[in-house]
Amino acid sequence: MNRRKFLLTALGGTAALALGVSLYQPQLDVEDDGDKPHRILFSLLMPVLLEGALPEMAVPREAAVNRTLDAIEATISVLPTSQRDELEQLLDLLENRLGLLLLTGNMTPLLLRSPAELASQLESWRQSGLALLNQAYLGLRELVLASFYSCPEHWTLLNYAKPELPGIKS
Amino acid sequence: MAIVDPIYEGLASGWKHLDGALYQGSDKPQSLEADVVIIGTGAGGGVAAEILTQAGLSVIMVEKGPLRSSRDFDMEERTAYPNLYQQAAAMKTADKAIGIFQGRAVGGSTTVNWTTSIRTPADTLAYWQSEFAVKGLSADELEPWFEQMESRLNISQWAFEPNRNNGMLRRGCEQLGWDYTVIKRNVLGCWNTGYCGMGCPVNAKQSMLVTTIPAALSAGATLLSRFEATQIEHHADKVFGIWVQARDQNLAPRPEKLMLKARHYILAGGAIHTPVLMMRSGLTDPMQLLGKRTFLHPTVLSGAVFDEAINGHSGAPQSIYSDQFVWRDGAAGELGYKLEVPPIHPVLIASKTLGFGKSHAELMANFNQLQVVIALVRDGFHPESQGGSVSLDGKGFKLDYPLTAPFWRAARAAFASMAELQFAAGARRVLPISEGVGYLNSWQEAKAAIADMSLAPLKTVVASAHVMGGCPMGEDTTKAMVDSFGQSHYLENLSVMDGSVFPTSLGANPQLSIYGMVAKNATALAGRLAPQSKPPETAPETDPVADGVPETAA
Repeated sequence: MNRRKFLLTALGGTAALALGVSLYQPQLDVEDDGDKPHRILFSLLMPVLLEGALPEMAVPREAAVNRTLDAIEATISVLPTSQRDELEQLLDLLENRLGLLLLTGNMTPLLLRSPAELASQLESWRQSGLALLNQAYLGLRELVLASFYSCPEHWTLLNYAKPELPGIKS
Repeated sequence: MAIVDPIYEGLASGWKHLDGALYQGSDKPQSLEADVVIIGTGAGGGVAAEILTQAGLSVIMVEKGPLRSSRDFDMEERTAYPNLYQQAAAMKTADKAIGIFQGRAVGGSTTVNWTTSIRTPADTLAYWQSEFAVKGLSADELEPWFEQMESRLNISQWAFEPNRNNGMLRRGCEQLGWDYTVIKRNVLGCWNTGYCGMGCPVNAKQSMLVTTIPAALSAGATLLSRFEATQIEHHADKVFGIWVQARDQNLAPRPEKLMLKARHYILAGGAIHTPVLMMRSGLTDPMQLLGKRTFLHPTVLSGAVFDEAINGHSGAPQSIYSDQFVWRDGAAGELGYKLEVPPIHPVLIASKTLGFGKSHAELMANFNQLQVVIALVRDGFHPESQGGSVSLDGKGFKLDYPLTAPFWRAARAAFASMAELQFAAGARRVLPISEGVGYLNSWQEAKAAIADMSLAPLKTVVASAHVMGGCPMGEDTTKAMVDSFGQSHYLENLSVMDGSVFPTSLGANPQLSIYGMVAKNATALAGRLAPQSKPPETAPETDPVADGVPETAA
């Protein structure tokens, strides 16, 4: 991921906002592989949602994050259109300042928030009395956790493996 | 040892199968004809197809999902959910408060269910008779049909030791003196691995996929997979055709359409899709019954951590249930609940639990010590339990299911019963799967906490694997769309043979109820249609088989 390039974009946006000029690009996925949307957003949420499950060591951690990002993409790709549209709408809102203001009461891009701030944001959606925010929390939670635990690579954490049956494809 | 794959072998032997993803309109027939067209290949469609074919009638079966078979079943949720379930197993009610598991592949939900086979409870049948003028479906009248289907599908009591997840349910019941039953399962030569929900990899489960559907195909029936019924063409009191639309590898609609024509039409798409098709087609519904009173057995969950290993992923997923609380207050009294356990697999447990980060990781780290009980709430009997409603929303449908006060009373009682049972079985900690309670360390603590806990949509995890209702049966046309044989009250050549005809939920897992009632109704229909029928070989004039070899998983 080209984090520096993204940071510049985000900071540029902040500066522009201060000047009252909108240079902000709602499409935040300015990483190297431009046709894999929302990877930055998920790579920010993942350490929060998966704290304690992701490996601590840098190399395996990066592998687990990338594996899960691929799994999230696969999960989204099999959702029916209406659900995918709803999810895309939520993700777009989270990558967009006005959307962030609406959902979090704050325009600071998620990239500039600490994991603790992101965790408390998720927690406030979880506890909220508003169905829309509960749904946003549950949607992100289910997508990320289900995608992570769908990968056999992550099952050692559970001390689980599917059985090996003679004559059955593994 | 190689596993015999009856689907693969059948296709190789020349079954008539047309795959919508491969269908080319220009060089294929634009319409197909048979004596009977059946929409849906689950518990209802599968049984009807076999019985009608055996009576010498030509049959076309239509399934929106793909044709998958044991060689595709790899015991992984990431493969099974998108391939075999409606909406990749992520189907939810409109407010997203209830997640619904429903099958969508040849064999329908029978391809992915947990094999629990229970005859329709006598209380349910009696209630239908008195409240909905349902005729001919008493326990006595149904008995021979249940016996026939139990024999056909090798349904018998699980003779082996329950896995420890079920074992704890039994132990809790024994400790407390509660009722429990060893479950009957539709399996033959079961390997006891625990992956029924992902498609049986060894073809032990006697689902429609390996029993009635192969029998119908071998007797000359035609199967259309990845074709969706989109419109019933009808005039006055007759249906004169059903349009089906091809779907691609990802089940997205393709432009190709086919008209299916028959003497009689059977809808068996399940309790959401049958009413949806009828509503979309503008069928007569003067009392506005279609899509109303949709029941889910809305289900709450209770986790427990044991010191010993439970390994709830391993072994027959359901082998014990308790009916201690199902009928306690009478059919129309407080909503009762049936206690069962679910299989414990990584994605299912990760998603149907609470929270994130460290607390969730700790829960998952206890994966093999985790025991889970579920309480399936019997909806549709109490006056304030009217179920949900399915409606068209432009592109598709939505299912609204308001969780009413009587449901929450039942949920609270169920959380208490489950915690009491789990502690009695020796649980170290119990975790009601609802926000704000957390781990409870004793039955005393649990009793107080559960009495006081707040329960609400999106805060309490509610799931369903049983969709029923929406096209009720009975002899009173102000309350029923079809008669007690599933025959439409309005269209003389249309029947409904699936769980959508149930006037309430069942209070039991539905597959055997559908098998038995459809066996009875399809046999009666065959008696009406068969005398004039031609041999099945003459069914479609053009052989629609597009592919000599089976499709493979994407």
